[in-house]
Amino acid sequence: MNDIVLLEAGRRKAGQRYRRYYERYLWSGGFLALLFGWSMVDLGISARLFIEGIPHFLVLLAEMFPPNWQALTGGKVLWSILETLSMAFLGTFLGAIISFVLGILAAGNVTPSRAVREAARTLMAVERAVPTLVIILLLLVVVGLGPFGGMLALAIGSVGMLGKLFAEAIENVDPKPLESLESAGATKMQIIRYSVLPQVVPSFIANALYQFDINLRAALFLGVVGGGGVGFNLHMAMSLFRYADALAITVVILVMILLAEKTADYLRRKIIGQEVLQ
Amino acid sequence: MSVAALGAMIVHLKKFRKYVLPALAATLLLWGASTISRVDLGAFLAGIPRGITLFGHMLPPQWEDFPGLIGPALETVQIAFVGTVLGAALAFLIGLLAAGNLSPHRAVRELARGALTAERALPDLIIILFFVAIVGLGAFPGVMAVAVCSIGMLGKLFADAFEEVDPKPLEAMAAVGATKAQIIRYAVLPQVFPSLIANTLYRFDVNIRMSIFLGVVGAGGIGFHLVMSMRLLQYREAMASILVILVLVVLCEKLSDAFRRRILGQEVLR
Repeated sequence: MNDIVLLEAGRRKAGQRYRRYYERYLWSGGFLALLFGWSMVDLGISARLFIEGIPHFLVLLAEMFPPNWQALTGGKVLWSILETLSMAFLGTFLGAIISFVLGILAAGNVTPSRAVREAARTLMAVERAVPTLVIILLLLVVVGLGPFGGMLALAIGSVGMLGKLFAEAIENVDPKPLESLESAGATKMQIIRYSVLPQVVPSFIANALYQFDINLRAALFLGVVGGGGVGFNLHMAMSLFRYADALAITVVILVMILLAEKTADYLRRKIIGQEVLQ
Repeated sequence: MSVAALGAMIVHLKKFRKYVLPALAATLLLWGASTISRVDLGAFLAGIPRGITLFGHMLPPQWEDFPGLIGPALETVQIAFVGTVLGAALAFLIGLLAAGNLSPHRAVRELARGALTAERALPDLIIILFFVAIVGLGAFPGVMAVAVCSIGMLGKLFADAFEEVDPKPLEAMAAVGATKAQIIRYAVLPQVFPSLIANTLYRFDVNIRMSIFLGVVGAGGIGFHLVMSMRLLQYREAMASILVILVLVVLCEKLSDAFRRRILGQEVLR
């Protein structure tokens, strides 16, 4: 008898919890569904567009094959590939240097003062909010069209994320080596050099290599707005309806990305492996 | 030659290989990359006063433009939103096929995983240009590009989440004869729901930025206005667009944060 009462009570309680839980989801879900429907109608998207797109898709595929390898002769595309790689590499390098300094200034445990920390944090937060498109458009006016502007845009675009991750890593270091160095009378620079950096440099390098992967893809976009690199060649081929050329360029881009990712992976493993072993 | 001298030489050689060679290689690499990217300190220095002048030309922003920019800004958000929802829905289905514990067959799983990896390797720009070429200009290619670009990342994260669920509820339901759909609905979904939502919201933040860029290749929205006013040297109009973009990005981030906290907070409290 007692068991049945308990069972009933438990069932009622579970039912209440279940209902409350689903009512909340119903509200969020209903709101999102309404927003979705309104957006679809407002953008003029319908199933008809999908169906109409299919023959266009097939025609495009037919025009892309076979890829026109002739488009690669003359070295223009290969030079653009080199340009893209250089932009991504230098952009990441420069961005990493700036992030390194900003990250140290923004970390609560090694920063020279609270005000400096807040300033560095704000600078990075603002950078993260600004889309790369805005940065590159302004830079192209300032330093002119070409890969140099693109490289600078990538460098600036890397600072927000890399700097933030670096600052967080510094704040999470084991404080004991810092304290013992400080009690032995070490200067701030010595503390950073001998107790903070050994703990955080491996993760910094790993993040920088990861940022290189991101920047390489971002560098493709820069070509479209005039920042140099192979994105320009691809955009041009597509705009001029030279789809077979575009496919050949796409293949080269894919090879570039895969090789760059493998290299970054190899370096990451090599550098981090060494650091961990030390 | 004494043994000590030989030892010293070997140490030197080791130091040479460990420090000098990498330094040389790095210098060569930096020099080469600088030459190819046409790094120009002169242009940079000349750019500083030019940047200040540009900033002067941009202020004050063209305030009269703001009412006209609300429509394009909304379009940018809508493209990102619809694209994210469609992409997440597709990623959910592919994620089910790619999860080892739910996939109908090993071969299907490998195929789905392969497709997701291939999509992640494909740069977004190629997908965007491809869709613009298929459907022409407008919001539709933008939505499709955003959706397809989201699938690779979301599908992998979803599949990983599915694979990491506690298998006991699944086994219990299978033992009482539940169908696959019922198992997914009542045993898998409650476990993975928070991570699905969190990842989708994160992707929405990424997609807002992509949607802004889509304006450049002709998919409409606020990015188009920004690029147009920069090309026409209408810097005060450009500043208005930039301000709207900044508000848009920050607002969307706050919104998705609020959503994340609301939905995930519940899950954690449950």
